Amino acid sequence: MTTSRQPPQELAASLLAAALLLPGVQALADEPPQNGSISLRYLDYADRQAGLERIRAHSPSVAVTAPVASDWSIEGTLTADDVSGASPRYHTAVSGASHMQDERKAGDVAVTRYFRRGTLTAGAAYSTEHDYVSRALSLNGTVSSEDNNTTWAFGLAGSRDSIDPVNHVVVDEHKRTVSVLAGVTRVLTPNDIGQLTLTRTNGDGYFNDPYKLFDNRPRSRRQNTVLLRWNHYVDATGGTTRLGYRYYSDSYRIRAHTLSGEYVQPLGGGWSVVPEVRLYTQSAAYFYYDPVYDGTLGPPFPPGFSSGAGPDRLSSPDQRLSGFGAVTVGLKVVREIGKLWTVDVKVEGYEQRGSWRLFHDGSPGLAPLHARMFQVGLTRRW
Amino acid sequence: MVEQIFRFPFDAMASRCEIRLAAVDGYVAEELAQAAIAEVRRIERTYSRYRADSIVSRINAAAGRDRVECDAETLQLLAYADHLYRASGGLFDITSGVLRRAWDFRHARVPAPEELAPLLALVDWPAVQHEDGGIFLPRAGMEIDFGGFGKEYAADRAGALLLQGGVRHGYVNLGGDMRFMGPQLDGRAWSIGIQDPRKPDGIVASIAVSQGALATSGDYERFFDIDGKRYCHVLNPRTGMPVSHWRSVSVLAPLAVLGGSVSTIAMLKEDEGLSFLAASGLAYFAIDSAGQQYHHSISGDYAS
Amino acid sequence: MRALILIAPTLLALAGCATVQPWEKGKLAKPEMTFGGDKLDTRYADHVYTSREAASGGAGVGGGGCGCN
Repeated sequence: MTTSRQPPQELAASLLAAALLLPGVQALADEPPQNGSISLRYLDYADRQAGLERIRAHSPSVAVTAPVASDWSIEGTLTADDVSGASPRYHTAVSGASHMQDERKAGDVAVTRYFRRGTLTAGAAYSTEHDYVSRALSLNGTVSSEDNNTTWAFGLAGSRDSIDPVNHVVVDEHKRTVSVLAGVTRVLTPNDIGQLTLTRTNGDGYFNDPYKLFDNRPRSRRQNTVLLRWNHYVDATGGTTRLGYRYYSDSYRIRAHTLSGEYVQPLGGGWSVVPEVRLYTQSAAYFYYDPVYDGTLGPPFPPGFSSGAGPDRLSSPDQRLSGFGAVTVGLKVVREIGKLWTVDVKVEGYEQRGSWRLFHDGSPGLAPLHARMFQVGLTRRW
Repeated sequence: MVEQIFRFPFDAMASRCEIRLAAVDGYVAEELAQAAIAEVRRIERTYSRYRADSIVSRINAAAGRDRVECDAETLQLLAYADHLYRASGGLFDITSGVLRRAWDFRHARVPAPEELAPLLALVDWPAVQHEDGGIFLPRAGMEIDFGGFGKEYAADRAGALLLQGGVRHGYVNLGGDMRFMGPQLDGRAWSIGIQDPRKPDGIVASIAVSQGALATSGDYERFFDIDGKRYCHVLNPRTGMPVSHWRSVSVLAPLAVLGGSVSTIAMLKEDEGLSFLAASGLAYFAIDSAGQQYHHSISGDYAS
Repeated sequence: MRALILIAPTLLALAGCATVQPWEKGKLAKPEMTFGGDKLDTRYADHVYTSREAASGGAGVGGGGCGCN
């Protein structure tokens, strides 16, 4: 366990053990004080492609956390997304776009029970749009070691979605998913903490995008993720580096890598700045087809369509299933006012390009996508 | 509920003391602090050498004659003292208080070996019988005293009382031995100055602490200097002479009583003190007789 | 990738062998050192990336779905 140069642990342990035997020198194990908070946040999202504006979203939300009795807490959030704009019907064809305008309302609530060495959280989520309703339930638990340096996490969740697209391509379709999670968080040094999380999701039902032409996906999808995170406190600056790597793979044969990093630097006077960078790369789904169209019929028909290739065969012209790389760069500025209030502003820029795919060629023929995100948030604690 | 920090200075155990704690209002703070101060005074009364009715005085008065029955608290303090004797290789000996009779720090005079010899014969913890709920000092003139960790024990008890009363920000400071209940109100650690061993108003380092305890042993509490050589109150129980390797040793530990014991033993071990500190696994800040600083796992600012 | 799944937990288990004591955990208690983060901020990020990329999830389960166009 320790290197041979380290002195024996027996003296340390025996001195501490002897001191702990003295009467009344420690307080009895107590719950840490639980604080409540209420947060308001607003997101303004806009993307564009090939010089044309595409989707615009305005999204206010509120979150509340409150301790209840001495061993419980309850959390809830409410969000309203107002989304409008042009979404391509195939590849990046904005001229053939369907203009859409939708309002999505979502809410979730979770109740947590605290035990001496762990927690148990039950949660429920509900969201509704014109054409899509989603309901989910989850159960998550954590168990910590005696010295609190290791925490194991387990989770189980399920969802049922109902899809009723406004264009009636299908009527009353459903999608169900079941997910499991297992993870471990470990305190490594007084300045370092690491986490490994594995998840697996099995989904059955309707996965097509009903607003895209020739979008015919398998009726099941299995997804796996491995997430590795590491937070490190830098003594020299008082800042913290937060790094993460996620590996994703699914039954569409999409494999994706995500590398994200942010650096929290407190500046004094309650200010901090957090620059962030995120690198993303994914392979294409096996049934994705490039913007190369049928020789006879032309776009949007996939190659082979005119010669009678099965109309039920799997295909999708959805850019999100193509091979590409993406980069996000952002900056968040936070100001803590007194002990109770926190305000922050965050600006991010995102770009997605086929040619930026790492290790292999990305899907050709798609114009880069640019997005910008602007967020502002306010939190009050009590 | 918005809290403020309240301060309660007082004198106890021959030192300037202070309790700082966060509470919602002055009345709550006063009640909490008075309970903690009362506990400090209780320990001072119970274990004081100078009060004829204290358990320590009764034990010392019966030396060479009778066995004295002890309560549970005293028995546990004796057990701890025994553990420290063994952990320090016999250097931490609570029967070494008799050497005070030869060393009077109000007069700068080094006692002659003939004065020390009979006193050294009375310094003998292994001869003390402390089983079966009582204690017997076998030779007349033997004495025990808990001065080596009494103040730190009081700091821990006062701190534990405040923690159980719900205090989450503040500390108990008994003459430089400190037990913390939590960081400052904004979450930042307290910045505690380590006294410069050669300048009463000077600080040689600032240490960031928010929980656990900080205890210091030094050669500047009671001492005299002759010809540039310092004679301090920390005496080696085998030679009867003061230790001289360290000017001060400060230790961070989960309990003040642990930090105080380790810092005193490090002073007693002289040149072996550093490896003892390393074996204890605790964070420390030590200054040797040449003024050189040694530290491990300490965060804060230090002069060099 | 199987190698990563096997190595990573072993690394995490071994790496923290010198046990961190309770009084050394001051820095770990800072909010930026935990893995939670601002709940709504993380939600927005997950939602934006799920609607523009194929990969999703990683840190938790139970969020529910959306039409996401």
